[in-house]
Amino acid sequence: MKIGVFICHCGENISSTVDCPRVAKICESYPGVEYSVDYKYMCSDPGQNLIREAIQLYKLDAIVIGSCSPHMHERTFRNAAFSAGINPFMVEIANLREHCSWVHDDIESSTLKAIELVRMAIEKVKRDKPLSKINVPVTKRVLVIGGGIAGIQAALDVANAGYEVVLVEKEPSIGGHMSQLSETFPTLDCSQCILTPRMVEVHQHPKIKLLTYSEVVKVEGFIGNFKVTIKKKARHINEDLCSGCGMCISKCPIKKKAYNSFEEDLAFRSAVYIPFSQAIPNIPVIDETVCTYFQTGKCGMCLKVCDRGAINFDQKDTVMVADIGAIIVATGYKLYDIERKSADLKYKGYGEYGYGKYRDVIDGLQFERIASASGPTSGEMKRPSDGKEPKKIVFIQCVGSRDDSKGISYCSKICCMYTAKQAMLYRHKVHDGEAYVFYMDIRAGGKMYEEFVRRAIEEDKVKYIRGRVSRIYEENGKYIVKGEDTIAGMPVEIDADMVVLATAMIPQDNAPALARTIGIPYDKYGFFNESHPKLKPVESTTAGVFLAGACQSPKDIPESVAMASAAACKTIILLSSDTLEREPVVAKVNEDLCAGCFYCQKVCPFGAVEVKDVKDINGIVYKEVAFINQGVCQGCGTCTATCLSKSIELSGFNNEEIFAEIAAL
Amino acid sequence: MKELREHAKELLEKGEVSAVIGYSQVSEKRTKPIIVTDPQDTDQLVFNEYCLNNLAVYLTKARIKVSCRTKDKTLKLAVTAKPCDVHSVVALIQENQIHREDIHIISFNCHGVAKDFGFEFSGDNIASKCINCETHKPLYFDKIFGEEKETPKASDDAMERIQEIERMSHQERFEFFKNEFDKCIKCYACRAVCPLCYCQRCITDKTIPRWIESSSHMRGNFAWNIVRAFHLSGRCTGCGECERACPVDIPLSLLNRRMAIKAKKSFSYVSGRSLETPTLVGSFNEKDNDELFM
Amino acid sequence: MDNQKWEPKIVAFVCNWCTYTGADLAGTSRMKYPANTKMIRVMCSGSVDPVFILKAFERGADGILVSGCHPNDCHYNAGNFHARRRWDFFHELLDFIGIEKGRLQFSWISASEGKKFADVVSKVTKDIKAMGPFTNYQKMNSEFTALFPEEANADSEIINQIKETVL
Repeated sequence: MKIGVFICHCGENISSTVDCPRVAKICESYPGVEYSVDYKYMCSDPGQNLIREAIQLYKLDAIVIGSCSPHMHERTFRNAAFSAGINPFMVEIANLREHCSWVHDDIESSTLKAIELVRMAIEKVKRDKPLSKINVPVTKRVLVIGGGIAGIQAALDVANAGYEVVLVEKEPSIGGHMSQLSETFPTLDCSQCILTPRMVEVHQHPKIKLLTYSEVVKVEGFIGNFKVTIKKKARHINEDLCSGCGMCISKCPIKKKAYNSFEEDLAFRSAVYIPFSQAIPNIPVIDETVCTYFQTGKCGMCLKVCDRGAINFDQKDTVMVADIGAIIVATGYKLYDIERKSADLKYKGYGEYGYGKYRDVIDGLQFERIASASGPTSGEMKRPSDGKEPKKIVFIQCVGSRDDSKGISYCSKICCMYTAKQAMLYRHKVHDGEAYVFYMDIRAGGKMYEEFVRRAIEEDKVKYIRGRVSRIYEENGKYIVKGEDTIAGMPVEIDADMVVLATAMIPQDNAPALARTIGIPYDKYGFFNESHPKLKPVESTTAGVFLAGACQSPKDIPESVAMASAAACKTIILLSSDTLEREPVVAKVNEDLCAGCFYCQKVCPFGAVEVKDVKDINGIVYKEVAFINQGVCQGCGTCTATCLSKSIELSGFNNEEIFAEIAAL
Repeated sequence: MKELREHAKELLEKGEVSAVIGYSQVSEKRTKPIIVTDPQDTDQLVFNEYCLNNLAVYLTKARIKVSCRTKDKTLKLAVTAKPCDVHSVVALIQENQIHREDIHIISFNCHGVAKDFGFEFSGDNIASKCINCETHKPLYFDKIFGEEKETPKASDDAMERIQEIERMSHQERFEFFKNEFDKCIKCYACRAVCPLCYCQRCITDKTIPRWIESSSHMRGNFAWNIVRAFHLSGRCTGCGECERACPVDIPLSLLNRRMAIKAKKSFSYVSGRSLETPTLVGSFNEKDNDELFM
Repeated sequence: MDNQKWEPKIVAFVCNWCTYTGADLAGTSRMKYPANTKMIRVMCSGSVDPVFILKAFERGADGILVSGCHPNDCHYNAGNFHARRRWDFFHELLDFIGIEKGRLQFSWISASEGKKFADVVSKVTKDIKAMGPFTNYQKMNSEFTALFPEEANADSEIINQIKETVL
């Protein structure tokens, strides 16, 4: 085998601490090396030409490049090698920049290290085998998980590009948190007025299959070829027959047993209900836990009043399997449990603020419902305890956010803006009322955002106090808010009628479980991880799975929409070709040696290992061996290390190659 | 004994199994494994305190399987197994080497076996695995014989040796094991008798690349013994056959037992005890010990 | 061997997605760490076989680092969980046999933890320096090379010869 070695100076990035000519010179005498040279910029056009010419002139079989990280230019050099007629996988990169010249000062020791790194690469390349890319077909259907604004936007974008979409929403209606909001910053336009047309469009789109009250329970397969199992929970209403007249709801005798979660528990709902009047689809759900029929077997009022016979108490959960090419995850957020209701006690609550104890201490979403024209108070400013109009209201920002002691160190990003908006809405509704805001910093980056906060302060006379609140307690029908004004440097005490806590945005409770189902990583809070914080913000690290909206990190509406469209775009790119090319770094089983213990099957994170029967000459199965589906294998190699008889090898990183690298140390 | 022979005979006559793997008496304190395929030969079968071999090792031997098949019989095998040998059978089932329905387990109420052939069975000469044995009754069986008897009391010398080693410095330990492994002649008897060493080609026989050096030198011995112990960690059921088979008396059980202690302490896992629990190797818990990692 | 001059030889097995990228970030951020550690890139920490460790010791390594993605942050979801269990056993086995735990160290380093990478490599280097050369294994190695020069050099061809001319 003839090997060429190319040492890049990277301008001065490498050559300032590594003696590149010396490295190239020494490699010349190395067994198997036919040609060795150093050059100022290997990745430049002349540099690549140098490689191509050397390959042809010296009839090289493999090349080693001493340059920057393979994550930077591996592809460049592979392409260069390919265009000169050698297999792109007969190229190895010694990382002389990120792992050597940039991290060491001493020229002598970094040059020696560089020589060793190149030597390791030479030994590896000697054992490399030509590989060819793997082609897999693509199913042209997209799964969108979550029907909030991000999911809606993504579904519409993909469907409008002509691809089929399955939109799964766990609640009975799509719309998400955005449908609960009163008005949106910084324009104060009505949230539902801008959202509902989108919801209707989703419902009527011929390419979108909408599955509400449904959950994803299993994801198998891989990019282009997922098999997704979706559970559709029983509504106990026949969706094909129901006209959405609402007769069942108005006649349901159970009126005050269940809180309305859409109204953030500020109102009750009946046992058969639709979450809100603009719900899509406009089909009710029977809540088994409170319905008299399900609890005692009696009643059945809804059955009697429904003239279309749509009520079906015997309806069962159904499970369906869909072939999917790509997945967009848009499961959104929830608000921090101020009372510490969450089971894992990951976060500490805010007992000192009396949430849950005082009915007039509420969170941001509850205020949205009170301020909303469709809400429990029809948009009139009334406090929950006695329905009186609060004359003095206190907003507290960063409840949970930016507070390590409570378990969350990040900024929830939207609270500064929505608090300003809520204070403004309050002042618009209660002209003689006073609004106070306790804040740590005002973070109002965004188009028209800072102006909006200034408007709250200057036009609407909202009083901003920089400082934290230590305690809230009730005294003579007032809520005494004790805090500190850190600018004035003195304690503050406000006797408020109502307190609104701008609680942190956290991921949905089931986010980690869903992440494990899909097979995507998540951070310590449960937000899904993007593939690269800067350059791949909408891709998850799992190929074919994309992220949109607040499930990735706290986001406001325009950001969620932008991310959703970006994810949709990435998906459309993926579906635009009929087959996918994949790197040939996959595991292969030596069937003669495989003992059939199937530990590889147990450890494979992707379910790529299948059972294959081996038959003798008479057609009798004499052993079972592992078989790796090359389309599913992602090339982690966990099976290779687990395999006791070492009957599995990972192409491109096989044991012989790694042993050679170790030996070259 | 009579019941055992009758049962075996019946199985073979009815064609329920094509062979019975069992023990036959050689001399007063010595038995040997036999594979009975003819109902007439079942009167050679015995079971007593000198049935030392772990017969589960024969269940995966291709030759036995092939001989069954060529005679056009059912593939089903009966195996005579002490309760501790049943653990090996369970592990083999878990590792997909055999199917439960293909194996007829004949087991016994057991009160221990002698430490080796030729020793009178008593508290002084009891096998070390029997000293703290908790399964005098097999966990899985198709037929059970024998009456329950008290196990002779004895002190757990092997455990004391482990503790003694743990009290040593790393240098002393290294020297200790180096001296032990230095004796190794790479006969691979430990591998041959181990029911769980069923690989068709062991990694020590692989040459491209060479996994374990086969030259007659300490370094390869060292690697072989470490890898053997590692491949069995979390899997070894503690039958102790490797140590008994070792012609140069390397205390292999020390390593196996130490790893079994680890499995129990860190993962509450004892190998070969249950067909329902997932195997320790090949599964994980998100809450596994993370202290090792910076 | 003169302890003043002696520099430990350390091998790191790092996963492609997290630690290798983290090491790239350490480079991009121009963080400094000792040059003793040479990295071998594998796809996932789950694919590192314990025999690699023995091989490295056989090739004269004084210390070894294995590093992968943080739990739940693995590019392959679960490779690192399987690795964790495997190393827990192997580490304890080596310790029992008389190889100090410090010779083989482990870490989780994500792609964004360039600083942590530099710190971990510095710490491992410091630890190994404090422990001194791995004479136990090196004694075996030199015996082996003397007895079986051909087999010792079978994989590495004439590396040793080159080493002498270079170093």
